[in-house]
Amino acid sequence: MMDKQSPQISERDLAATCSAACPVHTDTREYVQRLSRGDYEGALDVLLEVNPFPSVCGRICHHPCESECRRKEIDSAVSLRMLKRFLVENTREYRAVRRKRPAEKKEGSVAIIGSGPSGLTAGLDLALLGYRVRVYEKDSRLGGMLAHAIPRYRLPVEALAEDIEDILASGVEVRTDCEVGKDIAFEDLRKENDAILIAVGLSESHSLPIPGVDAQGVLPGIAFLWDIANGLTPELGDRVLVVGGGNVAIDIARAAKRLGPSKVYMACLEKREEMPAWKWEIEEAEQENIEVLNSWGPLEILEKKGKVTGIQFKRCVSVFDDQGRFSPRYDESLTKVVEIDSVILAIGQKADLGCLAQTPVAVQGGRLQCDRASMATSERGVFACGEVITGPGSAIGAIAMGHDAAKVISHFLETGETLKLDERTYPTIGELPAATAALAKRFERIEVALADPAERIKDFSPIEPGYSEAEALAESRRCLACATGAYLQSEVDCAGCLTCVRVCPFGVAQVERTAVMPAQQCQTCGLCAAECPAAGIALSRFATNGMKDTLKAILAKSNEAKISRPFLVSYCCLNETTGRLFLREQTEEEIQESGILRVMIPCVARLSTVDLLSPFELGADMVAVIACKENGCFYTGAEELLARRISRVKKFLNEIGVGQDGLQLFKTDGVAEESWPAIWKELRSAAAGTLARGEGVQEGGSR
Amino acid sequence: MIVADPKPFGQVKGYIENFEKILIVGCGTCTTVCLAGGKAEVQMLASGLRIAFGRENRSKTILEDNVQRQCDEEFILPVLARVADEKIDAIVTLACGVGVNFFADRLGKVPIFPGVNTTFYGASVEPGLWAEMCAGCGDCITAHTGGICPVARCSKHLLNGPCGGSEKGRCEVDPANIDCVWQLIYDRLKALGRLEELQDLLPAKDWRTASDGGVRRTIRENLYKLK
Repeated sequence: MMDKQSPQISERDLAATCSAACPVHTDTREYVQRLSRGDYEGALDVLLEVNPFPSVCGRICHHPCESECRRKEIDSAVSLRMLKRFLVENTREYRAVRRKRPAEKKEGSVAIIGSGPSGLTAGLDLALLGYRVRVYEKDSRLGGMLAHAIPRYRLPVEALAEDIEDILASGVEVRTDCEVGKDIAFEDLRKENDAILIAVGLSESHSLPIPGVDAQGVLPGIAFLWDIANGLTPELGDRVLVVGGGNVAIDIARAAKRLGPSKVYMACLEKREEMPAWKWEIEEAEQENIEVLNSWGPLEILEKKGKVTGIQFKRCVSVFDDQGRFSPRYDESLTKVVEIDSVILAIGQKADLGCLAQTPVAVQGGRLQCDRASMATSERGVFACGEVITGPGSAIGAIAMGHDAAKVISHFLETGETLKLDERTYPTIGELPAATAALAKRFERIEVALADPAERIKDFSPIEPGYSEAEALAESRRCLACATGAYLQSEVDCAGCLTCVRVCPFGVAQVERTAVMPAQQCQTCGLCAAECPAAGIALSRFATNGMKDTLKAILAKSNEAKISRPFLVSYCCLNETTGRLFLREQTEEEIQESGILRVMIPCVARLSTVDLLSPFELGADMVAVIACKENGCFYTGAEELLARRISRVKKFLNEIGVGQDGLQLFKTDGVAEESWPAIWKELRSAAAGTLARGEGVQEGGSR
Repeated sequence: MIVADPKPFGQVKGYIENFEKILIVGCGTCTTVCLAGGKAEVQMLASGLRIAFGRENRSKTILEDNVQRQCDEEFILPVLARVADEKIDAIVTLACGVGVNFFADRLGKVPIFPGVNTTFYGASVEPGLWAEMCAGCGDCITAHTGGICPVARCSKHLLNGPCGGSEKGRCEVDPANIDCVWQLIYDRLKALGRLEELQDLLPAKDWRTASDGGVRRTIRENLYKLK
């Protein structure tokens, strides 16, 4: 269901494939761009605005955003999940401070049954709208499957706890160890509340209708994971086989492996390429020496004296019919026996709908009856969301549905009416055309090395290290910021001079009466904007020709007379920073004492001639432009154009009496945080000599 | 299109030394295309003037404006109104000489100065390079020369060439940069199979259409004096 009037996606921005693919439509570009500017807090704001579980998603999200990332056409997708994880791990204090409480309380109370991601998301949204929300959880811990079915090597308890703590701070009330239907009657909830949301998820494993399934040593998968998550050690034999080929089966196999058996198998109906588990999960399982047996269907669990001794399979020849429906076909003549001591079943899950027994809420064949569009059950005021409705899905999918549930419930509380959410799809800018991708420079994705398989199977410690700050910043700069590129501000200004066509390194800009930079191709380098003689091209996220205003705003906060001379304005390539040292806003005192005002530019080749002159207008004695490392620029040809522009401005500075040495171009040499201060020191001391001799740079500009 | 070059900064600054409130006006057509007088050039010149006067501790107000085309009254009327409303002392225009004149005729007591030198009618023969292609002589003879104009492109404006200064297809005035146009005409007529036409000498040109007889005017009856 995609009814998402996202506060984060504007008309112009709508088209990014990452945001469209995300079930909650996170404005991926925006948080990644904020991260790259060192605004980790602002980036967290973007995340939390649509996703109350960023810590969880930073660890386990199946990242459809990455699957749709257009950078794939150039080299590989931006590592968005890891960037998200970096953000939440580096903004903990801020996150606690920014917590929100509802502005005002509203009439109306809602009971939510189940504290998984969709129930809690709905609860948070409704609480922030001002309603009273009580969540009933039959277990002692909140989080549903996140708390009980995801092993800790993937999702540490602390990550989930962070998200939940945040949610509870909104005023959502919870009752744990309270099973509806047993500890409290469903009808009592109905009497006490104006609406009920059933978000019980799929907490039970399906069993197999084959002989031997009741033997000792056959375990239901979800119960197995529950034990592990709760610190219990389920009894396992020395050879274990997990039946199933999905993500839950993988979690079970890998968790079992950590309990020390000598052999762990997985067996599933699907061929390798058909397995529903994520490809990377299968690979990681295999690294851990888990053997995957493909195309086998269980025929019988073999037992001796009531204990499992093995399992017999028949060959599965196909899993799906012509229409893609699950309809396995077997070749019974081909069988296989695997000797094992334990079998864990992970062939699917079902809901525990005990809470609805003896209630009028319609359940048919074990399925809760619910209208998908309005999320309404057979009973007025009783709604349902999450996996109990959709079947097994992703955490982020459940979160999205939680938002939808809050929307239909608040509508019901306001009007007494049900609301049918429209299915909405977002038009995207589509794939990056191959011709454009071929012209873009390759910058390989920063991968982290997982813990050594031999080590990681020893316990349940997290196996994936997070990014360092330098890695996160570098990775964030691989983002193409799709569909936020150049556009013509006003057709009247365009003379059709073709300069944009001539400077575009990617062959994107065209003139069709006036300049056109198709969003699907634009790589957002900004060279056309910087070179446009009509100053008519703009970038969505950078104000070309706007440095004067930027500098004015900074100087307005400083006492200019107190700025140490010579006064140096340094434009620096933001993409070179490896930490926040120079990304942080400078204090008034810092500027005054150092005599250096630094401005971070996401590629200094975006600076126009007037941007290079503006500091002198505002009283600077000199301007340094510090570009990236030699050949380090993301944009082919940008270095050449910048060098030419600088050379032109130097000539002009000679003409206007400032002197060409007032403007200097540098390349970052090594690490920015070490290279830049050396440049500044050298420049200021040289300029101090000139000042003393009364040449070139002079006191008393027109500031 | 009309091609122009920015005037030396010192010259422009000299024009306005004695004025306080100066408006720089760009032109959005020819001088934008040849990177001499568009909005970006206006910004650069204005910034340069502010810096230069600032460094002399002289306070001046340098304002900026741009019009789509300075050779039509409708487009410049808003600027004329602004000049009156804001009591502007002087204008510098970055349009070709046409823009200077057109404004001057309408500015009353407010002086206007050129910010560019208008150079020729030309084309962008490659990115960043413009070359003269037409002299505006008022009596086009290119029908006889394979479409290539000797009036504009021969250093001597010879109607029957080449002269003795043609060497290996280049003009002796600047062999590195200038083609001998008569070589180009020869090659072109040869390619068209019309080489024999070169034996017909072009008669002496009647230059009255180029410069004599006062200011040249053109009238289109469908619009002229339309009520």
